[in-house]
Amino acid sequence: MIVTALVLGPIVIGLALYAVPRERIVLVRIIAAAVAALAFALAAYDPAAPDASLRWLSRPFVASFHLGFNPISFWIVLLLALVTFGAALALNGPRARNIAVQLLVLQGAMNGLFLAKDLLLFALFWDLMLLPVFLVLLDGGPHAHAAWKYLIYNLAGGLALLLATAAFGMVSGSTDVLYDPNAHIAIGIVWGTWIFAGFAFAFLIKTPVFPFHTWMPDTYAELPTPMVAVVSAVQSKAGLYGLIVICSVFFRPEMLQARTLMFVLGAIALIYGALASLAERDTKRIVAYSSLSHLGLILLAVFTGSQLAIQGAVVYIVAHGLFSAALFLVLGAVEQREETRDLLRLGGLGSRNPKLAGALVIGALAALGLPGLAGFAGEILILTGLFSAGVVWPALVGLIAVILASAYMLRLFQGVMNGPDVPDLPERRDMTWLEGFAIAPLVIAFLALGVDPGPITSLTIGAHTAAPVNVSAR
Amino acid sequence: MLGSFPVAADYAALLPWFVVAIVPLLILFVDLFFKDASAARRGVAVGLAIVGLVVAGALAAGQYPHEYAAFGGAFVQGGFSIVFSEIVIVATIATLLLSIGVGRSDQVAGTTALLLWSASGAMLMAGAANLMIVFLGLELLSLALYCLCAISVRSTARESALKYLILSSMASGFLLYGSALLFGATGSVAFAVLATAPVTPVLAVGAGLFLVGLAFKLSLVPFHAWTPDVYEGAPLPVTAFMSVVTKAGTLAVLARFAYAALPSDHAAAILAPLWVLAALSMLIGNLGALAQTDMKRLLAYSGIAQVGYIVTAFAGTTALGLRYAILYLAGYTAMNLGAFAVVALMARDGDAVVGLPRFAGLAYRRPWLAAAMTFFLIGLAGLPPTIGFTGKILILAATVGAGYAWLAGILILGTAISAYVYFKIVRVMFARADLAHVRDERSSNPLPWIAVTVCVVVTFALGLVPYTPSNVLPLVK
Repeated sequence: MIVTALVLGPIVIGLALYAVPRERIVLVRIIAAAVAALAFALAAYDPAAPDASLRWLSRPFVASFHLGFNPISFWIVLLLALVTFGAALALNGPRARNIAVQLLVLQGAMNGLFLAKDLLLFALFWDLMLLPVFLVLLDGGPHAHAAWKYLIYNLAGGLALLLATAAFGMVSGSTDVLYDPNAHIAIGIVWGTWIFAGFAFAFLIKTPVFPFHTWMPDTYAELPTPMVAVVSAVQSKAGLYGLIVICSVFFRPEMLQARTLMFVLGAIALIYGALASLAERDTKRIVAYSSLSHLGLILLAVFTGSQLAIQGAVVYIVAHGLFSAALFLVLGAVEQREETRDLLRLGGLGSRNPKLAGALVIGALAALGLPGLAGFAGEILILTGLFSAGVVWPALVGLIAVILASAYMLRLFQGVMNGPDVPDLPERRDMTWLEGFAIAPLVIAFLALGVDPGPITSLTIGAHTAAPVNVSAR
Repeated sequence: MLGSFPVAADYAALLPWFVVAIVPLLILFVDLFFKDASAARRGVAVGLAIVGLVVAGALAAGQYPHEYAAFGGAFVQGGFSIVFSEIVIVATIATLLLSIGVGRSDQVAGTTALLLWSASGAMLMAGAANLMIVFLGLELLSLALYCLCAISVRSTARESALKYLILSSMASGFLLYGSALLFGATGSVAFAVLATAPVTPVLAVGAGLFLVGLAFKLSLVPFHAWTPDVYEGAPLPVTAFMSVVTKAGTLAVLARFAYAALPSDHAAAILAPLWVLAALSMLIGNLGALAQTDMKRLLAYSGIAQVGYIVTAFAGTTALGLRYAILYLAGYTAMNLGAFAVVALMARDGDAVVGLPRFAGLAYRRPWLAAAMTFFLIGLAGLPPTIGFTGKILILAATVGAGYAWLAGILILGTAISAYVYFKIVRVMFARADLAHVRDERSSNPLPWIAVTVCVVVTFALGLVPYTPSNVLPLVK
């Protein structure tokens, strides 16, 4: 019941928002934030909520509308609710209502993706979650290059996923197998490689990983602030989540084979993302490229396959979601005030807007991995996991990227907040209560998680003795 | 076989077909009593037609569990043919809702009668288990359509009709020549005899020519070039009808021929070129659609690709594949007719040339219409939550299961290209546009809204509950 509500509720309420007149921004904001808060409460209320399952197909393979909590998705659903809450409060401007609709539909679709315990249902939500983002990108301008790039890349991945899912179903006889400790599926070598390739292709595009990343900076730069917060925080994790719960469970041999290649791709993403982030002038693109770098680290962890690294990956998935959403919300607030995202035009805002500067510095510190904040907890777990599994050179590359992270995050902060006043920038008021209220839950969460990532790591271990994630047992 | 004297049971099998074929006479007769150009005149003609179709549909549904091998096995009614007939009937009803306002009111009775006769041809094809009945059904279907294409006053209508007449006759020529060779090789026109005949080169060539004729009618690449021109010139409801009913009738013949009329040990070799045609259709159909800006041409190319998906499901002639082909055909019927109904609602007389620019900012002008169109396009592109998604994954599964993974790969590739085609329209509808320069025409006939609503429901519901009847293996007796 709860899991079904988490999926259908936001979608239905979101579509119903079209009935609200376009000018009633405050009402839209309240409804969207209330839905997000309610989703958080529902998920947190009963992590052991029973599964909901309804048979979908019996031929040619078994598939069900099977939704349920699992130790990883529980945290991602909470993360998504927090980020959607912040994003809902940041809704503004004439497009606010339309964005709110897509925001809630996206929340429902992504809840469905992470709660799906059936591979075909996973594929369904994978494709479904493209639509709201595409529609918002279309709304942005007449050319909509970013919209096309986003759609073509991600749909290519989605179709590969679809074909792989169909083949998986035909080989195994059922797709209702995620998190099922009794599912013993042997996919032969011939099929295994192809099916794994299909899944991996989809997941690498979505994450994204070099060389499939070119859609990402454009998309992040073009999306309005509330949407980009959600997409960078949660949607980009869908691929990594898929690698953890699908590939590392059913395709262990193939993952082992692909390991070196993936380490190379992850390392390239780590360094390339960091360098591009250092070179960018657009504040949103800086954070976008930093995501490329950070998610490269998670990719390394996932393919290392040790228990510790995977725990670190999950912690870092949540942590990155929290701080990247916070960063995008703060930078969105800056953009709204100064009407530019150009680092060379911005500057000296810190003295006028100390609260905004404070929020940005906390987000940047979390992103560069300051001990005591969540980013650090994830990074240290991943790096320890890599070293202890004997994966030395990727770990060293990861370390370099962590150092580079300080450089580009501090450059971002300096460029926006420090320096002399730029005279032709409009004078605007400091952070409002509403903006503070949007960011506060995220900051509290990554502070808490930085001090004690225990809840995530312990849950991950506790419930996973049965099957997934426990890749080190190979 | 045809020599045996028909009995009452033979005519009972034809009963639904009789209803659809006789009602047009009634419509034409009743129309004689109207002299003025009143709305009632249109209403009576279309109303009678719909009543007739509903009765025929109900009669056909009653025959579903039976197997009638009428006229010495020339016409096999039951299961397979009923499912196809019902698709034809439903599609014809939807077409009639679109056509009621099109053309002069003294033409409506004629148009309606021709539509029904054409539909009765498709119903005949659905049950045809004999080369002659196939030809009879096909010509009944086509002859009515030649007239329907020419009925509009547009100059392109005559071009459309002439093109259709010439190229379709050529297809019939192929079909007939193939039939003649098949008859020569086996001494019989019955599918049942073909299935057990020894394979000779003459039989193989005959089967090949027969398939070419069908491919022409299905507009599979490379026999597709006539489709966009004919669709463009024909009145909109006729285009909608052709895009579904012609394809349904021909697919029924193709399925029965592929599954039941070929010697089982040589069927794979004889049919192999068909999968290549399906692959080409999926790729070239979608590539061709990329460049189109006229909705009818765009949907023509899209239809070429969609039929490619359906024929793909036949690969390996598995029972499962046939069921999913029928499921996808039903879904395609809903999605495609839905899209046509939306286009009909955007033209004042229900039949104007609707180009892509007319969709500019539709989401802001007519949000419900834009929402419905988006839903159909999402479905045609194979995205959830529609039958387009579920049907495609089932076809993929059946194709992979039958050992045709390469064809499944081509299907995915074609779908990827098609995304650009369909989302191009979505983009035009949702992107901000200067609405002052957009012609905002509305149809005076609200009935297509019924078609739109039903199609949305079917597209959504079939995606969630992809029910396929089990009793659909085509038989020959």
